[in-house]
Amino acid sequence: MKTSHILLLVAIAVAVGFVISTLGDASTYVTFPSAEAQMGKKVTVIGELNTNKPIDYQAKKNQLSFFVVDSLKNEREVLYGGPKPQDFERSEKITLTGYAKDSVFIAEKILMKCPSKYNDQNTVEASSRLNY
Amino acid sequence: MEYIGEHPLPGNLGYLLVIIAFVSALASALGYFLAEKGKSGFEKIGRAGFIIHAVSVFSVVGTLFYIISQHYFEYNYVWSHSSMSMPMRYIFSCFWEGQEGSFLLWMFWHSVIGLVLIKKAKNWEFPVMTIFALVQVVLASMIMGVYLGDLKIGSSPFILIRELPEYLNLPFTQNPNYLSLPNFADGRGLNPLLQNYWMTIHPPTLFLGFALTLIPFAYAIAGLWRKDFTGWAKPALAWTFAGVMVLGTGILMGGAWAYEALSFGGFWAWDPVENSSLVPWLVLVAGAHLLLLVRNRKKAVMAAFIFNLLSFILVLYSTFLTRSGVLGDSSVHAFVDLGLNGQLLVYLFMFLGLALVLFLARMKDIPRSKDDDPLWSREFWMFMGALVLFLSGIQIIFTTSIPVINKVFGTSMAPPVDPISHYNGWQLPFAIIVSVMIAVSQFLKYKDSKIKEVAKKLSLSLVLALVVTGIFSWALSMTHALYNALLAASLFAAFSNLDYFLRVVKGQIKNAGSSLAHIGFALVLAGALVSTGNQKVISQNETYIAEDFPVNEHILLNYKDTLKMGPYQVSWMDQYQEGVNRYYEVAYFKESASGKLEESFRLQPFIQMNKTMGNVAEPSTKHYWNRDVYTHITYAELPEDGKKDPMEEQWGNESELKFTPNKVDSVIYAQSFIILDSLSTRGVSGNANSLSVKAHLKVVNMLGEKSYAEPVYEIENNFVRSIEDSLQSSPSIKFKFENIDANQGIITIKAWEEKRPEDQFIVMKAIVFPYINILWLGCILLFLGTFLAVIQRFRKA
Repeated sequence: MKTSHILLLVAIAVAVGFVISTLGDASTYVTFPSAEAQMGKKVTVIGELNTNKPIDYQAKKNQLSFFVVDSLKNEREVLYGGPKPQDFERSEKITLTGYAKDSVFIAEKILMKCPSKYNDQNTVEASSRLNY
Repeated sequence: MEYIGEHPLPGNLGYLLVIIAFVSALASALGYFLAEKGKSGFEKIGRAGFIIHAVSVFSVVGTLFYIISQHYFEYNYVWSHSSMSMPMRYIFSCFWEGQEGSFLLWMFWHSVIGLVLIKKAKNWEFPVMTIFALVQVVLASMIMGVYLGDLKIGSSPFILIRELPEYLNLPFTQNPNYLSLPNFADGRGLNPLLQNYWMTIHPPTLFLGFALTLIPFAYAIAGLWRKDFTGWAKPALAWTFAGVMVLGTGILMGGAWAYEALSFGGFWAWDPVENSSLVPWLVLVAGAHLLLLVRNRKKAVMAAFIFNLLSFILVLYSTFLTRSGVLGDSSVHAFVDLGLNGQLLVYLFMFLGLALVLFLARMKDIPRSKDDDPLWSREFWMFMGALVLFLSGIQIIFTTSIPVINKVFGTSMAPPVDPISHYNGWQLPFAIIVSVMIAVSQFLKYKDSKIKEVAKKLSLSLVLALVVTGIFSWALSMTHALYNALLAASLFAAFSNLDYFLRVVKGQIKNAGSSLAHIGFALVLAGALVSTGNQKVISQNETYIAEDFPVNEHILLNYKDTLKMGPYQVSWMDQYQEGVNRYYEVAYFKESASGKLEESFRLQPFIQMNKTMGNVAEPSTKHYWNRDVYTHITYAELPEDGKKDPMEEQWGNESELKFTPNKVDSVIYAQSFIILDSLSTRGVSGNANSLSVKAHLKVVNMLGEKSYAEPVYEIENNFVRSIEDSLQSSPSIKFKFENIDANQGIITIKAWEEKRPEDQFIVMKAIVFPYINILWLGCILLFLGTFLAVIQRFRKA
């Protein structure tokens, strides 16, 4: 067998490794109840911020608490160890990475789908100009 | 209808110029194509077409600069990206803040490079320029902004606000004097986060890098087209390394920007947008090295085609990833979708298809080496190194593409919850292998070399690397096996190349390119590993651990109070405001030998107050030769609209105290007992409809000292009036008789504490990055080395 064939085989093996590891490391998008079924395991939840409930930042604890409704309309309180991100209330969708603990969801990372940071003429700004 | 005050001329000119650019690029592509097919005279059309195209692109650029500089806010692009108050030095940043401007920047570089190639490409001009012109046709269509029925082709930077589809038929578009409306007096302005010199230099560098990847792509296509499978390597070589240099510099600049000016907390975060420019670079580096093999030994021809074609395809794919909004759930760099998704995909598949079809058609003719390369030959090791770089790129792009995989297969995978460990798990071993290859292959000869001699030459570097690794590992107590292995491997690469530079190149600077670049690359790896892998959050909060919370990495500092933080004592000394920035001066003290606290340095992290985009914390870093102390504010009380500056506000900690006489007559507030002794009621003389109620409050503080306050509640002819009363003693509390609920028997009294300056606080995060200067040194050497190599290769070519 030629070295080049061996190399090719090794490369294919490594590539298969990528797929397996990515599938293994990839989390799934879950709902709150399934996060609670596996307390403490890191998961990703996508939901919407409930703006009718309090969004409270306690500076001394550096803890933000808010309520999120997941895709199946389950609502939970979420705790996050950081100040309120900019334009938090304006977010359309929130991606939470973290884990369920007792009755709350602890978010280690939050990512908001917003009218873009860099280029948003389409949503908020637009509504203020529509009056003319 | 005539609109008053509009400047339609530059916009119409802009539209026209884009169309001229599109048509002339198309003519140029056709001309060059026919010229390559042997039709004489058509090369003149090709050349003239491209020159007209380039001139139009430059004019479009000029026109866009003109309308931005003139503040013509009727144009959507100008309104969205600039404002009157913005300093003119940021005009470049405005220009490429939006997508249309960045496409234009990309076209600008392609035009410049195209003009150079017309002059320099000699007998490769026709096929290479065919590809260049074709790409420009595609890019020009991205900023054309025309509709074919309902199909939108491109998004124009010259569209007027009143022409935007979302405002169609709104009343203001019918108002001839709409520009006098206050909303059009000033633009929204450039995102203040982007108002710095990085935004001026980073995008053009990155886009020049992207533009340069088109050259190896075009030459590879030309090689396949002409069935000249090895001849294209020589002319493409210098250009490909130029791409390696510029794109690499652009990527590292992005990392330096993130570290210096943004509060991401580090240099590299494996963010999808960062990844999508790193991957084409890795593949380009692999491709460039294979071109050396093709030119010198006529080996690895097949792989050289694949890598050099793929690098540009990956640039297109990154553009799609970052511009289409598909990454919305997984990246902090969110770009808005301009509705050009479909168009971007069509172009991606068009160029992928072109490359693939041509490659498959020619595959059986591409020369393959019949015999294997000996194990100890330079070509074998270079090929292996290129292969590992390629695999490393594929791994990164595969994970980054999870959202795309979801779209295609309808799955709902989420990106790894811990991306750093996912990527590091693969990338650390790859980096170790590549480092060892860089270390060894310089000393190997083409064809074959005597392993004993090579081993002898390498032994000094290896020993040095192991010793230095041992020192670092001991000093920073690095226990992670892979970290130690990578440090040793990268230092081995650095020392071996330094050795090569001194002993073989004999210190001649003009031939030092590859050695220096390899040292730089190795030091970037070593520096990133040592600084990021051993970063220490020194603001770890020991005094206050919040309930139900994993770790608190932030420190809370009261005004003028001094707290221990890692090896320092820190004190928040001052706050002041300059423009929109609010600075927080924090002093760092260290204990001297005599036990006295001595100030080591001060940092001024700040918060940029930004109404339209939200507040942004920007870091401040103390640089030592062997470490950086990096800090940023995570919370500070900021003045709100219509309220007093919290620095000047006298009363704080507002609270409603509720008493139910005879049941609840004492509450705790401000570390004191507030006791409602009694209420006294009296009428106001001469008015039967009036009543005045006085609350007799007794306040007992922590020391048991008593003081009294008597807020009053008056009703007169259905008007309510409160008379506040405050304590002069400590703590000073202000009381206001807020309400009497007669039905429930509840009395509500509002209370405020006098704010003492020391009650104000900030929350801060501080990280120590050890030896991060190794990383910056690596960046500089990588740049200088590739620069020298490129100069040398252009000279030889």
